[in-house]
Amino acid sequence: MKKGIINKIALATLLLMLAVLVLGASGVGAQQETGKNAQVQVVGSDLGLKGKLGKAIAKAPVGTGKGQIDPNAPRGAFGIPGAPKINYLVAILWAIWVGWIFSTVGAFGGIMAGVGHMTVYGLGDYIKTFKKTAPQLNKLLTDSIRTSNQWLVGLSSLLSTVNYLRAKRLAWPLGLALGLGSIAGAVAIPALTGGKVSFSQYQGWFGLFVFVVGGVLLYETTPRGQASKKAAKEAARAFEQSIKEKKDEAIQGITVTQWGLTNIKFSFLGVEFRFNPIWAFIGGVVIAAISAFLGVGGGFLYVPYLTSIVGLPMFVVAGTSAMAVLVSMLTSITTYITVAGAAMDWGMIGVELIGVFIGSMIGPRTQKYIPDIWLKRLFVVLALYVGLGYFSKGFFGKAWVPM
Amino acid sequence: MGLWELVDKFLIIFYRISGHPVFDYFLGTFLVALMAVVIGEFTISVVFLVNKNHLDRLNTRLADLQQLTMAALKLGDKKSYDACNKEANDAFGRVFFNMFGLSAAALWPAFFALAWMQQRFAGIDFPIPFTGLAVNYVFTFLICYILARVFFGRVKNRLPYFRGIHQMLMAYEENSGKSQVVL
Repeated sequence: MKKGIINKIALATLLLMLAVLVLGASGVGAQQETGKNAQVQVVGSDLGLKGKLGKAIAKAPVGTGKGQIDPNAPRGAFGIPGAPKINYLVAILWAIWVGWIFSTVGAFGGIMAGVGHMTVYGLGDYIKTFKKTAPQLNKLLTDSIRTSNQWLVGLSSLLSTVNYLRAKRLAWPLGLALGLGSIAGAVAIPALTGGKVSFSQYQGWFGLFVFVVGGVLLYETTPRGQASKKAAKEAARAFEQSIKEKKDEAIQGITVTQWGLTNIKFSFLGVEFRFNPIWAFIGGVVIAAISAFLGVGGGFLYVPYLTSIVGLPMFVVAGTSAMAVLVSMLTSITTYITVAGAAMDWGMIGVELIGVFIGSMIGPRTQKYIPDIWLKRLFVVLALYVGLGYFSKGFFGKAWVPM
Repeated sequence: MGLWELVDKFLIIFYRISGHPVFDYFLGTFLVALMAVVIGEFTISVVFLVNKNHLDRLNTRLADLQQLTMAALKLGDKKSYDACNKEANDAFGRVFFNMFGLSAAALWPAFFALAWMQQRFAGIDFPIPFTGLAVNYVFTFLICYILARVFFGRVKNRLPYFRGIHQMLMAYEENSGKSQVVL
């Protein structure tokens, strides 16, 4: 199949996914206020919490029951009285697990970070209690979960980008087109869906996303996936043998040789590359939008998009994708906090980061004892379980598996 | 006295140096940010020392595959190019996510500093002159944190522990040549 057709099919699929996400979000926005009750006594004060969170707290019903705020209760997550207090020991242990996954498997760490925020720390069940009693608070705290996930997943791009910038390894015209697109996507989604997505809806979409990642992992463990990987490995090794004498080439910078609205050419190591900046821009918009909606980093989409669809070599893609993730993460987090009014629990993120770096030290030391294929199989099972649980809980109100 | 109260008692000292509230706020925030930078740099040096061999292997493999990809492209060998690029993609994934561990090690103190500042300074707006706009503690901390990073980057070669680490990293970069880990 020609590359142009693959380009169009891939982008059409991504655009369709985006449209479904936005429609889903607005659909939920229209369902609010189901449990309206004029007689309910509300908190009436922001309890010292600023911005949209404070306003939503003031409108929440006062009391000690579920879906109510008790102003006299000790403050918990996000500074809200009565919210679950994050157990720092549990948070560190869970984050060690997340860091271990990051350093051994990769992308699945972001999913596990989300599972931590939603389930392990008990925030999901707490946020859900406000679904009918204080829908706005429910949606604001959902944004806080999305933003917390993004902090954790997107941070890796910061160091990578700095390193690639120093090494002059950023294909900056491509980074610019992709980055502008990712800014558009990362501003639009938090601005459009911030304060509109209920926790259940988010949980359902997150579950669906876990299914997709699980599906990719499953394919990689099938005989066909394994054969394709083995073939690539062998072809690379054969080529490596034949090229050994040409290994030490002088590293040169990236030079732009031609500018155009639909065609930019640049040379690197004497080889010419070309790309269409419009496709790169659209790709940036769509990938950043999906990442911002789900509260994930986006690296898992940028890299295959640039290598498989745009056809660029990893040498150029590595730094450029790291920069695109950084730009979209910074934009999305800023928009969630400033425009959508998401509250942050900085201490929770700090504790998680401690766990992550401990886990990333343990990972390389234990990885050699577990074959890659079995690691992937373990995560396929986990993805099916977590995906099914969140999908059913989010969209059908009841988990089909114990969780 | 709880840990947070103890931390609070210690950190607020930085905000009472001159007696001028605005100057003290920025000086104190800069010093808190500097402390977060120093602790973060110390942690990342420990993580780097512990994981050095693993990172070396990952980076060397990625650099080799990337060189091979470019060579295949130059020779017009499409099959080898696709194969090497696919392998490089895999290797990059490992390097990228291992980088996450390093970034976590460098940045964790900044989030605790923000958690403390939230308790102390949430709700206070800092107007930007001539714009009518105002910023909060997060923005002022980030500015101070960037300045503290720049400052520390310039002086760390002269500090006892960090001088040794810096020299080791320089030697590491020279030896590996193609390394992508720059701290």
